[in-house]
Amino acid sequence: MSNQRQLFQQLFEENSKRVYHLCYGYTGDSDSANDLMQETFIKVWQNLDRFRNQSQFSTWIYRIAVNTCLSYLRTAKRRATDELNDNIIENYAEEPSEKQEQIALLYKSIAQLEENERIIITMVLDEVPYPEIAEVAGISEGNLRVKIHRIKHKLTEIYNSNERV
Amino acid sequence: MKGFDEIQQLWHGQAPDPSVSFNTVLKRIKNSRSALAKKLFWQSISMGVAVAILLWMCLTVDFSTWTTYLAIAIMVGCICYYFVSQLRDYRTISNSRDLLSKPQDYIHYLKTFQQKRNRFNTRNYTTYEGCIAIAFALYGIEMYFALPLWTFIGLVVFVIFWFVICHVVFMKQYIRNENARIAEMIDNLERIKDQFNESKER
Repeated sequence: MSNQRQLFQQLFEENSKRVYHLCYGYTGDSDSANDLMQETFIKVWQNLDRFRNQSQFSTWIYRIAVNTCLSYLRTAKRRATDELNDNIIENYAEEPSEKQEQIALLYKSIAQLEENERIIITMVLDEVPYPEIAEVAGISEGNLRVKIHRIKHKLTEIYNSNERV
Repeated sequence: MKGFDEIQQLWHGQAPDPSVSFNTVLKRIKNSRSALAKKLFWQSISMGVAVAILLWMCLTVDFSTWTTYLAIAIMVGCICYYFVSQLRDYRTISNSRDLLSKPQDYIHYLKTFQQKRNRFNTRNYTTYEGCIAIAFALYGIEMYFALPLWTFIGLVVFVIFWFVICHVVFMKQYIRNENARIAEMIDNLERIKDQFNESKER
């Protein structure tokens, strides 16, 4: 039991930040991201004995996080992008530095992507290796590279056009 | 104008951190486990009390017709069925192996699960209404012999009126809302599934 707890704590410390980024990128607001991150780790805890070393722990946790994000639809209606954007800006309103504004703008731009693009790009931004992203997303590496190339281009365009406004 | 590399630098420089600590998650694991146990405990208690009252009535009250006993048996059956279904759902949710599947397969699982739940909820409501109606009708036979005619007629009219209200207003509205909710959810799941579909590369 204490070994399991130790392992869980280690997994939490190593992965919570990246899982949070993934959830934040997907939902566009920090409260939902915190909720989804907690839900992900509760599921990690519940399924800890099912991990069979067939992949890395991080891949396995990402897979649970992605599926938890997908089931977010079960409990919350998908909100319009504008509403997501308002949330993001509100979340950063307390410390309005130039960098914070740029980060808010980046999340606003991510929220304008499609759901699978948000998931993939947050992993790319967090420098998750491509084979791992391909495994998490359940697509081939070749296909992933094409998608990433397109998403990077799309995100850059959206970000720059938002910056100009 | 920023390039992707600059965007990535920005991400690394100021990405927000989660505001949830390891201890909070651990506490929530314990709480969610005890909340579920508590919910199941109280559901079992209320089910036990309801069944006990019905059985006590069977044993102590001397009903004159067998139809009343049948009515009570139907009510007990409905309560037990509801409890077993709830229990099965809790087990399905907590033991979902599909959680570790590929996103495409997980979306398929979510879709099937939601459709199944929707069928269960809407069909269940109809079945439940039907069973209660049969139970009341069977109990009505006992009442027919026990009550003065006009009191009996008044009671029957009231029950029929109440059933019509439930069927026309509450049930239709409930099923309409459930169907609309599920249709929206399925549309969203289909849309996301298409995004993950390799053959739909643009």
